[in-house]
Amino acid sequence: MTIQLNIYRFNPENDSKPYMQYYEVAISKKGMKLLDALNDIKWNMDGTLTFRRSCGEGVCGSDGMNINGVNGLACITPVEGLKQPIQLRPLPSMNVIRDLVVDTTHFFDQYRQIKPWLQAYTPTPEHERLQSPEERVELDGAYECIMCGCCTTSCPSWWWNGDRFMGPAVLLQADRWLKDSRDEAAGERLDQLEDAFKLYRCHQIMNCMEACPKELNPTQAINHIKRMLLNRQS
Amino acid sequence: MTTHERPLSPRLSIYRWLPGMVASIAHRISGVLLILFVPFYLWLLHGMTGSPEEFQQSLGFLHSSLGKVSLWLVSVAVVYHFCNGIRFLCLDAGWGESRNMMRSSARMVLALAIVAGVVFGVLLW
Repeated sequence: MTIQLNIYRFNPENDSKPYMQYYEVAISKKGMKLLDALNDIKWNMDGTLTFRRSCGEGVCGSDGMNINGVNGLACITPVEGLKQPIQLRPLPSMNVIRDLVVDTTHFFDQYRQIKPWLQAYTPTPEHERLQSPEERVELDGAYECIMCGCCTTSCPSWWWNGDRFMGPAVLLQADRWLKDSRDEAAGERLDQLEDAFKLYRCHQIMNCMEACPKELNPTQAINHIKRMLLNRQS
Repeated sequence: MTTHERPLSPRLSIYRWLPGMVASIAHRISGVLLILFVPFYLWLLHGMTGSPEEFQQSLGFLHSSLGKVSLWLVSVAVVYHFCNGIRFLCLDAGWGESRNMMRSSARMVLALAIVAGVVFGVLLW
């Protein structure tokens, strides 16, 4: 039994244009993941194939790619059930460094812009800043985000306006800090996001929610921020 | 060694059309259609309230193929834009925000538009 793959190739030193290359890989084990197939190609067939991967179990967020038209992580996507030949492309609307490796500079720059850390101005308590179990539950559905970029690069609004629209991943993170009972910078965070482009370019296309490998819901997070802004006004 | 510029990875041409994406783009398209039809309504109104000859002319147009297709298009656009508009308002208010509800509500409004299209088609032809 083999699986067939069509993989996006681009080597800046040899290719003026990207192209698709066909590979066939043997199914090595039950429950084989897409990353296993990519590793097999790289280690045993074609060492020039380039992709990012690290943990191999959906925690590091390195191997986000476009799998048969929808973004996902190769390491937790089972080969079984995917339509063949599997079409593998880099995350959409990104500058390709080589093959499936894209330049994430702008993506992480946008992340930095929302100051993704705890901001508190009250005097530091003797021990830690406490959070009740109920307050902690508020962060469920937000803290699990691994910043793999699958959602942001699936968003047509971000494709067209990515220079100004923050994109679903960053806005989910912004919501995560807005919801944190220990954070005291909600006002400044909302001030920063209250912008026709940064936040309101979201048109509820919901590709982000469909792409998220952790089954989170960035669209919901964005709507939550919009409601926080509305509540603040009234 | 020369290095080539980094290409932009493909996006719209390769992304799979999932119900949410179809529902969103259909909302924009139906909205634009409704705006574009405003002059058409005004022209109809003008014809229907003018002389008997003008009335006959407008009626004749509405019974022509082009007239029927226009009526069909605008009717489907109204139904779709209305249903999906309510869906968007609900989402804005925080109702039906679970992943499953977002999916099924997108499918639901699209199905409603298809049913409306069939019903209007039967009524018109």
